[in-house]
Amino acid sequence: MTDFNRRDFLRASGAVFGALATGRFGLNAFADDKGGAVKTVVVLYMRGGADSLSLVAPYTDATYRKIRPTIAVPPPGADGGALDLGGGFGLHPSMKGLHALYKKGMFAPILNVGSPHPTRSHFDAQDFMEYAAPGVRTITEGWLNRWLTATNEGKRKEVELRALAAQPLLPRALRGQFPVLAVPEDRAMQAMDAFEDQYGKGEKKDGMEKRPDDPAERILGAGQETIRKLRFLQDILAKGEGAGGVKYPATSLGRQFQGIAQVIKAGCGLEVAAADYNGWDHHAKQGVDDGQMAEMLKNVSEALSAFAEDLGEARMKDVLVLTMSEFGRTVAENGNNGTDHGHGGIMLALGGQVDGGKIFGKWTGLEPKSLYEDRDMPVHTDFRLPFTEVLSTFLGFTKLEKFFPDWKPQAPALGFLKKA
Amino acid sequence: MSRSAVSAALVLAAALACPGEDPTPGTQAQPGTKLTQREIAFHCLNRLSFGPRPGEVDDILSRGWMAWALEQLEPEKIDDSALQDRLKRDCPSVFMTASEAIDRFRPKELKDRKSLSPEELLKLQQEFNRLRRDAQEEMRSAVVLRAALSKRQLNEVLVNFWRNHFSIDQSKDQCQLLAASYEEEVIRRHVFGKFEDMLMACAKNPGMLVYLDNVFSQRPLSEREKEMVERGGANRKKSEFIQKLERQRGLNENFARELMELHTVGVQNENVPGGYTQQDVIAVARALTGWTVSFGEDRCEFVFRKEWHDDDPKKIGVLNLSLTGAGGIEEGEEIIRRLARHPLTAKFICWKLCRHLVNDQPPAALVDKAAAEYLKTGGDLKAVYQAIVFGEDFYRRENFRVKFKTPFEFTISALRATGSSIENTNETLRMLDQMGQPTCRSKDPTGFFDQAEAWLDPGVLVYRWQFALRLASGRMGGITMPADYFKPILAKDPAGMKEALEATILPGGVDPATEARCAAIVKQGLKPRQAAEALLGALLGSPTFQEQ
Repeated sequence: MTDFNRRDFLRASGAVFGALATGRFGLNAFADDKGGAVKTVVVLYMRGGADSLSLVAPYTDATYRKIRPTIAVPPPGADGGALDLGGGFGLHPSMKGLHALYKKGMFAPILNVGSPHPTRSHFDAQDFMEYAAPGVRTITEGWLNRWLTATNEGKRKEVELRALAAQPLLPRALRGQFPVLAVPEDRAMQAMDAFEDQYGKGEKKDGMEKRPDDPAERILGAGQETIRKLRFLQDILAKGEGAGGVKYPATSLGRQFQGIAQVIKAGCGLEVAAADYNGWDHHAKQGVDDGQMAEMLKNVSEALSAFAEDLGEARMKDVLVLTMSEFGRTVAENGNNGTDHGHGGIMLALGGQVDGGKIFGKWTGLEPKSLYEDRDMPVHTDFRLPFTEVLSTFLGFTKLEKFFPDWKPQAPALGFLKKA
Repeated sequence: MSRSAVSAALVLAAALACPGEDPTPGTQAQPGTKLTQREIAFHCLNRLSFGPRPGEVDDILSRGWMAWALEQLEPEKIDDSALQDRLKRDCPSVFMTASEAIDRFRPKELKDRKSLSPEELLKLQQEFNRLRRDAQEEMRSAVVLRAALSKRQLNEVLVNFWRNHFSIDQSKDQCQLLAASYEEEVIRRHVFGKFEDMLMACAKNPGMLVYLDNVFSQRPLSEREKEMVERGGANRKKSEFIQKLERQRGLNENFARELMELHTVGVQNENVPGGYTQQDVIAVARALTGWTVSFGEDRCEFVFRKEWHDDDPKKIGVLNLSLTGAGGIEEGEEIIRRLARHPLTAKFICWKLCRHLVNDQPPAALVDKAAAEYLKTGGDLKAVYQAIVFGEDFYRRENFRVKFKTPFEFTISALRATGSSIENTNETLRMLDQMGQPTCRSKDPTGFFDQAEAWLDPGVLVYRWQFALRLASGRMGGITMPADYFKPILAKDPAGMKEALEATILPGGVDPATEARCAAIVKQGLKPRQAAEALLGALLGSPTFQEQ
């Protein structure tokens, strides 16, 4: 175990979701108390700009190997070769679990997707994607928080935990008016015991009311919200079944997904969950079938396939995992066996409603003339197009008119999600 | 002290000569009533320092809070030598120039890397990483020590403001070794000086140029040069010249945009007519091409590279400025001077300062008054601070205890309220990371938010509670509450303890929920030490203690 991994592991083992491996089994069948199926979107943000050409390798493209002499993924069949997806594309060899789900028709990559904004700055590109508003700096609420606010009516108002971040800090996509729980580490949660009497749990709020002007009341309210939501979470996790023998990777990502699965299995109306995975900024030594990149992709593949196995096919019909990254990277490798910030990137979609076993997004090759600024993968699909599909096809949201500032879909939906 | 500051203070003193009555304990003062002298003293310590230390409200009350404020406005006259000695001992690298830091924290052997075996190189690289981590930790540690221990509290509050305004991320690339000298040379040197000088120092500092990528920004390739690169094409044996052209990334707008959006005139929107446009961003970026950094084995300095500079004519609409293109470095200097003097800059800077010091929704009249002072004095920051601090608005009840402390302000104020001594800052820094405000490492060039909105998410208070409990029970690593703090308290009965602790930790009053909780603790019949710790924890984790 490298230093990083050990630290990662120690940190993760203190996470609230860390203790779940010992959870009880088979107590709770999936039952949605609202009659209809609750749909859950899980977004995984791969921060740093993940190299799309390593995730899905165009192994038949002659240019690919030429401009990536040390980091191109070999063709299927070769030593450490890609896992064939058909059409001349192959999944990175360390992603066996997701490859199996691709063959099952539950998993699909979306190529050349990204932001129309030319920025190669991590923070701008992440902001723009999470606010779903490239170049618009007046928007300060995440796209999923806007959806939570816009749909907070009827029975949904009674749900305590419509959304959570499986980590102590909210990602921007979940920031905004609607109160979303950022789950702290276990150790920190013990502190709550001492303050429960002082703050109380307060009343369940629906998140739509104006926040009180009086600062003391607001702070008291935030404390009550914290206690109520965390107690609720602890409660459903304690009652819930365990992973049922499914083996998640022993990483923070594995624990985050195991925790999210537990909450979904509790059937309490969770609709949005988010997790971050940092460290995709591979400017140097990214490696091929071993090394940093391979290790991280293996982690993603194992966490996601364990998640799908844990939930089972029936539940996965109502669950969608969508991964994203702020941009892709340069097509050619740089002088340090790595790649630099690029433009067009990749998304991965996993779920029962995914029209899997296919590759989505337009592909125009790697010839310089078809690249963005002669060096990067182009953006053929604005990331807001798949977001739109998630909101409308998967979540059944119709009020899309003004959802994205200054933008309307210019192209037909990709169709990576089947109609429910 | 300047005559104007003293006279401003006197005018204010006259206005506040009839302070309100101290409200009966347990009742809320009526809105609109004047703050009492005691409340003013507490307010000053909350906003113009990182919170009162034990007994400090009374000290200031007896000396006169105005005398204290005037003294704080002249930090160079306040003896802070104990802290300086401590920093020189524990965090010597924060006093180094960029060149000294590069020289000091880089293993000498790396100079001659060609003669090294891969194993030796790896070992040296690891050593280099360790040294860089040390440098970063020394800086982070110094930030906490200064905020908590400096006698020049207003200076530290304002440095914290400007560190955020001109934010750089200490963990990005070479900023690891540049951030400390950046803070010394840009922020600390000019915090009571002219804004224009701070802005110019910032734009010419390696830390900022690296952080916002201006170091790479070069004039775009000409058509002819582009052709040469294309003809070079896939040819693997390109000439060095072609390779160099290929590497030339062209314009980087990052710094030019933030220079206007974050540092000076503010973002353009319907509320800010006459703001900058995207064309202005490109023009300013072109004018700033060649503003880069020269790195050597033992040196690092700002340079202007003429050969990278775009010498075509440029027009900057927001400044009404046309440049012929022949000005070289002076083009950028002229832009920076004009940005600093722009009325939108005066307004933006003063609005942000008032937001930080007064209210998340700052009073418009106060912002205008401060902005007028800014324009009148050519951006003299001391005059602007005086206009805010000695403005009547600052002392209105609607601005009293209405801000929500950031994690940093919460943590430092807790260390101060308990009179803690700090042996090391390791655990404090780690907890600040967990609370979402990693010291010196804001990922965004906007810096950390200072409004309540950004920090009041469900879940975040849990870490503050954890910190409160650990500090109260003496389990914060590296932090000790001096024996003389608890001793007199432990001698009292629980009701006496409660009274004494409430008076030190929450001198502005206790919220009802916390009052009830403390009363319950008193009745629990705990042993003295346990009771004191429970009370202290409840007070530090209370809603009121999160207020500023």
